[in-house]
Amino acid sequence: MVVQAILIGLIAAWGSLDYAFGTLYTFRPIVLGPLVGLVLGDVKTGVEIGASLELLFMGAISVGAYIPPDVNIGGVLATAFAISMGKGVDAAVALAMPIAVISLGIGNLVSAITPVCLKIADDGAAAGNDKKIMFTQWLMGAFATIYKFLLVFGAFYVGADKVQALLDFIPQFVLDGMGVAAGILPAMGFAMLMRMIINKKLIPFFFLGFVLASYANIPVLGVAIIAVIIAVEKFGFLEDRPVMAGNAEEVSDDDDF
Amino acid sequence: MTTSNTDEKLITKKDLLHSACNIGALGMEYSWNYPRQMHLAFCLMINPMLKKIYADDPEGYAEALTRHVAFFNITPQLAPFVGGIAVSMEERVAKGELEGAAVDSVKAALMGPLSGIGDSIFLGCIRVIAVAVGISLASTGNIMGPIAYFLIYNIPAFLVRFIGAVKGYELGFSFLANAEKSGLMEKVMFASGIVGIMVIGAMSKDMFYATIPLKIGANVSGEDVQTVQTILDGIMPGMLGLSATWIYYWLLKKKVNPMWLILGTMILGVVGVYFGFLG
Repeated sequence: MVVQAILIGLIAAWGSLDYAFGTLYTFRPIVLGPLVGLVLGDVKTGVEIGASLELLFMGAISVGAYIPPDVNIGGVLATAFAISMGKGVDAAVALAMPIAVISLGIGNLVSAITPVCLKIADDGAAAGNDKKIMFTQWLMGAFATIYKFLLVFGAFYVGADKVQALLDFIPQFVLDGMGVAAGILPAMGFAMLMRMIINKKLIPFFFLGFVLASYANIPVLGVAIIAVIIAVEKFGFLEDRPVMAGNAEEVSDDDDF
Repeated sequence: MTTSNTDEKLITKKDLLHSACNIGALGMEYSWNYPRQMHLAFCLMINPMLKKIYADDPEGYAEALTRHVAFFNITPQLAPFVGGIAVSMEERVAKGELEGAAVDSVKAALMGPLSGIGDSIFLGCIRVIAVAVGISLASTGNIMGPIAYFLIYNIPAFLVRFIGAVKGYELGFSFLANAEKSGLMEKVMFASGIVGIMVIGAMSKDMFYATIPLKIGANVSGEDVQTVQTILDGIMPGMLGLSATWIYYWLLKKKVNPMWLILGTMILGVVGVYFGFLG
C-alpha cells in the first residue's frame, strides 16, 4: 500500500516534470490513467478511465482568464481511487472534478508565493552568473513537482478509507448521474476549443465535420484526413512556394501524422 | 541574411539545434510563473549561444542575461524560433550595430501573433486530432490509444522546434514581417482552423455519450415503443451532441463561468437519471 501510494505520487509528480521536458502533454489522464492502472495491476481499466477523463477534461484549457481545474492531480487520484476500490469509470468521473478543483486551489496558493524566489535569477543575471538562473528554473518547477507528489501520495495513502466510505454512501443514481454528466461535458470541451479558434468563416467546416461523422459514419481520423486535404487544396500549399518555404513546412508537419 | 557579418559563423547549426532541445527550450513551462511566465527558460535556452557571442565581454553578457530574464510568453513549441531570431540580433548588439532594446521590442512584438498561430496549430488542431484518435482507440482499453496520442502531438512539436530554431536564426525578423504582410500567417491559421474545427464537429457526434431514453407512445405490450433518442437518431444521428456543443458555446460566449457550467451539468445529469429522462 505504501509502495503503491509512493508510485502513484510519482506519477502525479511526473505530470509536473512533463513541463520540464518539453510540455509533452503526458500530464493528461489519457497517458497517466494507464500508468496508474499499471501500478494497481489493471492497465485495461486504467486506459478506459483515462480515455473517459480525457474527454471529461477536454475543456480544461486556459482560455481568457479561466484557469482550468488541475487535470493532472484530478486524473491521477480519481483513477487510482476508482481502480483500487474495484469501481469503474462512473466512480472515477464523480471523483475527478471535485479533486481537480480542490487541487487547483492549493496550486494557486503555491504559485502565489513562489515568485519571491525570482530575485535569485535577477541577481544572477545582473552578475552574469547563469548558474543562478538555472537554479531558479529548477527551484520554481520543483515547488509544483513536490507538492503534487505529497498531495497525491498523502491523499491516496490516508484518504482511501474515507473515499471508499463516501462512494458507498453516495446513492447509485447519483453516480450514474455523474456518468451521464461525463457524457455531456465533452460538448463543453468542444465549445471551449471552438472559442479558441473560431471565426465566422470556419462555422461551415464545423458542420461539414459533423455531417461526415453523423450521416456518413466516417471515424474522426477519416474526418481529419479529409480536413487536411481541404486545407491543403484551399490554400494551395502544394503549389510552388518561392519565398515562404519555412512556414509551409510547419503546415505539412500536421499533414503527415 | 539579415546579419551583415562576413567573418566565419560564430553560431553553428549545431548550436541552434541544441538550443531547440536544451533544458531551457523544453522547460518553457516548468518555471512558468504569473509575473514573468517563461522568462527563465527562454534565457536558459539561448544562454549557451549568448556565452559564445559575449565570450570576451562579461559586461555585455550580464546585460544580455538581464534582457532575457524579462517577461516572455509564447506557445512553447515556437520558443526556439524566437530564440533563433533573438540570437541573430544579439550578434549585432555585440558588434555595436544594434541597441539592446531592439531585441526586447522584437521579442515583445512576436509574442502575440506567434502565440495566436501556435495555439491554433498545436492546441486547436494537432492536440484535437491526437485526443480524437487516442480516445477512439483507448475507450475500448487499447493501449495503442495513449501511444498514438503521444506521437501525433509530439512529432510535429519537435519538428517545429528544430526547424524553428534554424529558420529563426537564418531568416530573422524580416521573414516574419514578410510572412505577415503576404498573409501567410493568416492562411496557416485558417488552414489549421479548418482541420481543428472539422475534427471538433466530428467529435461532437462521436464523443457525446448522453441519450434521452424517454419512451413515447408507450403501450403496455411493449411493441412499437420508440424512445426520444431513436426518433432523434432517425432525423440526424448525433443531434444531441451537436445541440449541447452549441448551447455551451453560446453560454461561454455570454461569459458564464465554466465552473458553473460543470456544476450545472452534473446536477442535470443526476436529476436526469433520477427521473429517467437522461441516460
